[in-house]
Amino acid sequence: MNTRTTNKRRLRAELPLHLMLVPGIIVTLIYAYGPMLGIVMAFQKFKPLLGFFKSEWVGFKNFEYVFNLPDFTQVLWNTFFISIMKIAFGLLIPLILALLLNEITKNWFKRLIQTSIFLPFFLSWAVLGGVLIEIFSLKGPVNGLISAVGVEPIMFMGINEWFVSIIIGSDVWKGMGYNMIIFLAAIVSINANLYEAAEVDGAGKWKQMVHITLPGMAPIIILMCTLSLGGVLNAGFEQILILYNPAVYESADVIDTFVYRLGLFDQQYAPAAAVGLFKSVISVALVSLSYYLAYRLTNYRIF
Amino acid sequence: MSYKLPLGRKIFIAINIPLLIGIMLLSIVPFVHLLAVSLSSNAAASSGQVKLWPIGFTLDAYQFLGQKAEFIKSLGISVQRVFLGTIINMLLVFLTAYPLSKTNEQFRFRTGYVWFFAVTMFFGGGLIPTYMIVKETGIMNTIWALILPGALNVWNMVMMLNFFRGIPRELEEASKIDGAGHWSILWRVYLPVSLPSIATIGLFTIVGHWNSWFDGMIYMNSPANYPLQTYLATLVTAINVKSITIDDLSALQNLSEKTLRTAQIFLGALPIMLVYPFLQKYFVKGITVGSVKE
Amino acid sequence: MRRTTASLIVMIMLIVALAACSGNDNAGGNNSKQGNDPSANKGSNVSGNQSDSGPQDPLGKYEEPITVTQVLAYRAPEEGDALKGVTPETNGYLKDLKEMLNIDLKYEWSVPADQFEQKFSLAIASGDLPDIMQIDYNTYEKFKEQDVLADLTDAYKNYASPLLKKTIEADNGFALKSLTTDGKLLGVATSGEGVVQIVWIRSDWLANLKLQPPTTIDELEKVAEAFVKNDPDQNGSDDTYGIVFNKNLLGWGFDARGAFYSHGAYPGAWIKDADGKLVAGEVQPETKTALARMQSWYKNGILDKEFALRDENKASEDIVASKVGIAFGEWWYPNWPLNLNKDNDPKAEWIPLMLPSLDGSAPGKTLISRTVSSILVVNKKAKHPEAAIKMANFYLELSKPKYAVKESPDFKGAKNGYIYLWFQPRFYYPKMFDEVMAKVSDAIDAKQDQLDLPDDFPGAGEAQSVFTNAKKFFENPKDNAAWGMWYSRGARDGGVGLSKKVVDEKHTVYNEYYGPPTPTMLEKGASLNKLMIETFTKIIMGSAPITDFDKFADSWKKLGGNDITDEVNAWYAENAVKE
Repeated sequence: MNTRTTNKRRLRAELPLHLMLVPGIIVTLIYAYGPMLGIVMAFQKFKPLLGFFKSEWVGFKNFEYVFNLPDFTQVLWNTFFISIMKIAFGLLIPLILALLLNEITKNWFKRLIQTSIFLPFFLSWAVLGGVLIEIFSLKGPVNGLISAVGVEPIMFMGINEWFVSIIIGSDVWKGMGYNMIIFLAAIVSINANLYEAAEVDGAGKWKQMVHITLPGMAPIIILMCTLSLGGVLNAGFEQILILYNPAVYESADVIDTFVYRLGLFDQQYAPAAAVGLFKSVISVALVSLSYYLAYRLTNYRIF
Repeated sequence: MSYKLPLGRKIFIAINIPLLIGIMLLSIVPFVHLLAVSLSSNAAASSGQVKLWPIGFTLDAYQFLGQKAEFIKSLGISVQRVFLGTIINMLLVFLTAYPLSKTNEQFRFRTGYVWFFAVTMFFGGGLIPTYMIVKETGIMNTIWALILPGALNVWNMVMMLNFFRGIPRELEEASKIDGAGHWSILWRVYLPVSLPSIATIGLFTIVGHWNSWFDGMIYMNSPANYPLQTYLATLVTAINVKSITIDDLSALQNLSEKTLRTAQIFLGALPIMLVYPFLQKYFVKGITVGSVKE
Repeated sequence: MRRTTASLIVMIMLIVALAACSGNDNAGGNNSKQGNDPSANKGSNVSGNQSDSGPQDPLGKYEEPITVTQVLAYRAPEEGDALKGVTPETNGYLKDLKEMLNIDLKYEWSVPADQFEQKFSLAIASGDLPDIMQIDYNTYEKFKEQDVLADLTDAYKNYASPLLKKTIEADNGFALKSLTTDGKLLGVATSGEGVVQIVWIRSDWLANLKLQPPTTIDELEKVAEAFVKNDPDQNGSDDTYGIVFNKNLLGWGFDARGAFYSHGAYPGAWIKDADGKLVAGEVQPETKTALARMQSWYKNGILDKEFALRDENKASEDIVASKVGIAFGEWWYPNWPLNLNKDNDPKAEWIPLMLPSLDGSAPGKTLISRTVSSILVVNKKAKHPEAAIKMANFYLELSKPKYAVKESPDFKGAKNGYIYLWFQPRFYYPKMFDEVMAKVSDAIDAKQDQLDLPDDFPGAGEAQSVFTNAKKFFENPKDNAAWGMWYSRGARDGGVGLSKKVVDEKHTVYNEYYGPPTPTMLEKGASLNKLMIETFTKIIMGSAPITDFDKFADSWKKLGGNDITDEVNAWYAENAVKE
């Protein structure tokens, strides 16, 4: 009797929460879950003219085909390496920048810097590609600088280690404004009273950062790390496609460029779908793991 | 404000400011270079001579992009898309993030719902099935095809959810005591104190709608219905030198892919750069939540 | 109170949004139903009736208006003077099509050309095929396999105009034969012999260094070396190199194809060996010789140290900036980028040469790939398959001198709203460029003020425009755009002129495989291609020894190359149209 009434009351109390979710659920069901039917392509010999229902079923053949291609292991490793580096630096550097920027007291200066750091976000790789190749060419400004200090010019874009570093660095540079804004929003959302209290206690800026700012940002930081892990098999298709060259295939060929070249011969939907599904499964596994770890270690549910 | 600072602080500032200025330059210089390219003559741009100042100054690329009637029309469609799309996206983000920001005790079905949404971040069906769904729902060739498929951005929603959670519980409790329901708590308590995160997500949403061009290309049946970025992409690719074939080869003299592409970037980035400083005041100001405490 | 207002607003907005889409949903659904059903039923009847009715008026007007659907790969008009505000729907061609033939042409959709393939396959997957299409050979093969194409045998026989027949059958029926299956003609197309490789060279640099145009590969190498070391532009600084390459060794321009061909090496092509079997060019010993030579070029600075990092557009920048003096390539270079080089450096002069000779006897042989150009096909469900042929007649009619020459009173061109890019089917006489070149050269030699073109001259508009540009160039030799048109297409010693000579003198080798990709090609082709490009690039750059070529040839064979060779030979035995 008692539990039933509380249950009823809880349901009534929660009803508006359910209602609020209705529009989002409808849109998601139609436009996100609907297309997931297309995953069947991964198990078919898909032909557009026949569609999903008439194309021939081939079981795991598409997966076997992709996994058995001669350099798949290397490509997989390249993808992991490049994207893990991108994730790590792509979060760390904007975080540091946000903290540094937060120490600036002059508002106009803060805005100026914030705006300019956001600018590269608007540049497309199609345009940036040419600029980067120019900057790092044998006669480019970077080699000009290093030869001024007596170092032999380096063919950056033709040497595997350098090439990968440039891929990672330029991606971090292009995206840093974006992530920095999120971190800044997290910083300014921290209750200002905490800082006042700390100042009264005589805590310096460093201590304030360690004991107030960073813990206050923790949920957003953990969230960003987790979500980024979901993209661990996306190493940046457009960027690499435009910048890479046969001399650095062995370190820069990633899953997406690999699938792209498969498709060049013929539009191969099925292997692409198989790779897509493989990527999704890995993503979900990683995100679930980090969700679980975050909950276990910090008792925080990311979402 | 310039009274005594500790030495460590002074050193920090002495390093911090030049460092940030350096990073600022690193971000601006390529931009300046590309601006110079977009304002240079075809021959200068095509020979790679242009550095940070235009050579053979000309506005040809901008004139070519801007002179046509389609430009104004597609600009209108883009504005409409950004306006409508941002409103709908933000509403859905608020409505979805709010219930999901509750604790499991407050909202028992939360976890199930959260995963229902989260899964869509990782699983997708690809282009063909998405196209078919858009077609089946009858929104092909309408502005809704550009808005509805991405109407709920789960990534943004999850971010908003986390920002909502940072709001002190006391605020909510206080309004509950005053008899407010969930709708008014969301509207009158959560949103007003979430301006920095709303500005952030709003900015991303605007940028996203403004810059996306591929969906316009796929879902619109005629270039007459293209939003601006799709239209600009059309112009650039239309004279892509790679498509030189025996059938069609033109002698486009004063325009090149290079100047056009760069000009396109600036036309694309311009409105956002106009909106950005306006939104920025919400990042800098910060919210003193304490002032509304009980 | 306020709570309800807020929620009401939200709810109303969402309901409006959802209602708007569901409303459209109904409309769209109805339309497609009305559109599809009748056409499916009537399709075969009508064409059946007309099939045995013998020759018909190629440009006969339908008594009742008929509607045909198409899809459009959109490009902005090329003509600078195109009438403002014209859209594909208001294109002059469509207006005349309605007036002359009573055909209403409807575009189901249009999309910029380089997204076309994607949108097209999306449309196919969701079941929308227009009535009339012009498609490439691979798509044709797929359509054929799925049995969606109408039989055009009678339509072509009865309706094709003499001009269309002349255009299509200029290849002695090669294309028609390859497009006939089980006695049914499923597509109509012309076929061509691909583009000839030649060498473009800075003649002002040759003159500065007092060098003769090279005819052998050794001479070319010497010239290239001189271009590296002897300051050919006489500006006192060491800022030039010999031969331009880019990271796509077998690309579409500024690449290594010509250099390979000069060595009798044909990577990527299927050539006949001594026993009459087809073999892959990339694993032949000639390719190894060519690579060894290129390796030495790279070492000696003849090639740019960073060629492998840069694509075609980047490579063209070196030409424009007068950094390089030799470029293997095709006839159109004067149109782009040589004209820009002349804009940038008024002293620049370029001449085309035949591929250098390996042994000093005859020039290097260029590779000729027979290709069927875009194929006109008709959807099986279309009511009027013959309309496709009539439209092809119509296009050729409108390219007659009467309509195509700007000075003509009946001119129908971009200036008054006729955008040819937005009309299909379009066919060109395969040797049009040769004829245009001959015609224009003759007229210029004879100092004519006007071109007189016979009524069935193929490419009248093209000829007129080349002629006008030639006149412009002779009036003002500094007009580099006009020079580009004249020197690529008009001059006897220019791009097209020299290419024609290469073919006429038979400095050619045929690529004997022109079928669709074989099963093993589809499966292994991408990997084999990567292996090839990676190995070749490394060998040229000296980061791998030339002996790696043998390793490559072995792995190529093991990883699927042998299977592909078998499949290709099986195809050749069965399908090759032999003269």
